[in-house]
Amino acid sequence: MSYTIGLDGGSTYLKGALLKGRQVVETMVCSTGIDNNGSAEQMLGQLCQKAGIARSDIRYTMATGYSRKVLTVADDDISEITAHAYGVRVTAPKEYRPGMIIDIGGQDSKIIYLDSGYNIKNFTMNDKCAAGTGKFMEVAAQILETTIDQVGPLSLESTAPCDINSTCVVFAQSEIISLIARQFDRKDILAGMHISMAKRIVKMMKKSEKNGDILMTGGGALNVGIRKAFEEELMKDVYVASYPQFNGAIGAALIASERA
Amino acid sequence: MASENHISQYSPRQRELFIQKSTRVAASYLRRAESLEDPPEALRPFFDVLGRIFVDLEDVPKPVGMKTVGTYCVMVPSELIWAAGAMPVRLCSGSYTAYTIGDDLVPRDACPLVKSVMGWEIGASPLYENCALMVIPVTCDCKKKLAGMLEQWKPTVTLHVPSSKERDADMAEYVRELYRLIPMLEEVTGRQVTSQSLAEALNQKGYAQYEMSRFLAYRQNNPPLLHGTQVMAVMNTFAYMPPLEWAECMRRLNDELEQRLERKQFAAKSNRPRILVTGSPIMYPNLKIPLLIEEMGGMLAADETCMGERALYDPLTVTDRSFDGMMRALAGRYTRPCTCPTFTDNRQRIFRIKQMIKDHQIQGVIYHVLRGCLVYDYEYPVLEEELEKEGIPIIRVESDYNEEDVEQLRIRIEAFIELLKLKQFSEQKARGTA
Repeated sequence: MSYTIGLDGGSTYLKGALLKGRQVVETMVCSTGIDNNGSAEQMLGQLCQKAGIARSDIRYTMATGYSRKVLTVADDDISEITAHAYGVRVTAPKEYRPGMIIDIGGQDSKIIYLDSGYNIKNFTMNDKCAAGTGKFMEVAAQILETTIDQVGPLSLESTAPCDINSTCVVFAQSEIISLIARQFDRKDILAGMHISMAKRIVKMMKKSEKNGDILMTGGGALNVGIRKAFEEELMKDVYVASYPQFNGAIGAALIASERA
Repeated sequence: MASENHISQYSPRQRELFIQKSTRVAASYLRRAESLEDPPEALRPFFDVLGRIFVDLEDVPKPVGMKTVGTYCVMVPSELIWAAGAMPVRLCSGSYTAYTIGDDLVPRDACPLVKSVMGWEIGASPLYENCALMVIPVTCDCKKKLAGMLEQWKPTVTLHVPSSKERDADMAEYVRELYRLIPMLEEVTGRQVTSQSLAEALNQKGYAQYEMSRFLAYRQNNPPLLHGTQVMAVMNTFAYMPPLEWAECMRRLNDELEQRLERKQFAAKSNRPRILVTGSPIMYPNLKIPLLIEEMGGMLAADETCMGERALYDPLTVTDRSFDGMMRALAGRYTRPCTCPTFTDNRQRIFRIKQMIKDHQIQGVIYHVLRGCLVYDYEYPVLEEELEKEGIPIIRVESDYNEEDVEQLRIRIEAFIELLKLKQFSEQKARGTA
């Protein structure tokens, strides 16, 4: 069984996954920084070191994500849409069969529709705006003096979510500030923010799609608040992939294993 | 007669900068289309015509002393204009630079094509400036309001297009509309439209369509004989050349394609996913979507668009050689096979696209929607549903007249091509041929 690596150079973080066949051996994440390729090079070394294997044991490295074209350490690159669609073959909880993937990345959000053989049927993406993405959560966390990992749990305590109407990250920021000034509770602001994000992403979806389960991937899926908001908006169960943040990297590594 | 006042709103310096920018963009898209690998020699005259009009900003190559009549849709019978002794030129614009000027003149949600047309009022292009008359079919709200605005600039006439092909009364009205056009064209040229001149114009178009039918056979070859982006550029030029000249250039292109087929000299390998583009108009220089498809490893194997093959794929049939018979044949030819979403019931377009998928061995469809182009957007879900039954993947891509959305388009098109390749691979594996 050979080793492969998937590198997902996102807008905010660089993610790496080391696979042995279809099995996830190691994952790593670091800030993308300004030297994409340098960070990727370092990550390759560290992944091997953690797994206790030599660099030469890696049969194939596949890059994906925003900066995939500049990651020259990789053998080839693949679009993040294909990578995510592949990733869920490994990361989807066993008892579920994903028909729709909601990927919340740092700078964009994607909806990918899969057929029963895990093949991509169609996809939609948000455009230029950062609202409805991970970056939006980070900005809100910062203003509300909390951390990104606390955003979800805090919002679950809310009983009266605020209305947040702005769809732009900059306007939403000022809207949040004005809600603070009006002494709204932090947890209610966060809950309101998740609802507004979910609404925005649900707008991109084909609501009539009935095939299979809905699965969340991407760093945004680590947030339980957004998942709850999606369930409320869609009136359906939404599941989270294992290793959601690494789903793109895992998918890239899985495609690499087909080439190795 | 409208005045030249529109020009005075713009300073000479603004016009100079406009010309620099618009010609630079036009030249860069022409270069990209030309530089797709191994273009046939016979494409040169077509590229030269586009370069002459949009890069050198010269008038169309027309017979000396002939006047031009601008048209804003594929549903204006060019034969009628030729029969009156004038040359029809298509004025639907694909210029990003003109769009930025026009953006201030029409509402934000209007489509970029209409904005771009209005931008040419800056007075930089003989193609627009030299038009003696502009004919605007009322195919959507934007075109209707465009007609009202263009009136301030040039003599214009609207052409009412039936909203349904089912009702004889609507079709009869369209014939009357064409008759109404005749005296206006005659006034422009001072010449009469006669049975003879109309029959001659019909014949000339016939030569072009004969070459077109030859061309479509080569176009269906797999592996492909030339790139779809180049085909779209060639189709664009029909709107700027006399039909006999165009037919002659096409004849040379067809002969060269025939030789290439014998030599097995193909434009690309047959493993590239064959893609059909349909949807909102694609006008040179707005070739970003065709170019992205082919630069990202796809093959644009066919298009179902009004500036592409739609204008020419079906010949005119005249059963009654009287003047009225020819007029009715024209009215029929320009509406019945037309798959424009202006028609309330447009199931015909679905059939046409399915037919093209078979003829051109299409593996995936890219549905292009220009921002604000509602009529085309309306038909996407129906087509998506129909193609799902056939197992043909389709994606909708929305674009505007600028280069800021290129990266968004690129990732979508790239992922779509990957999807088609993976599908192809798994199908081959299932058949045991991989």
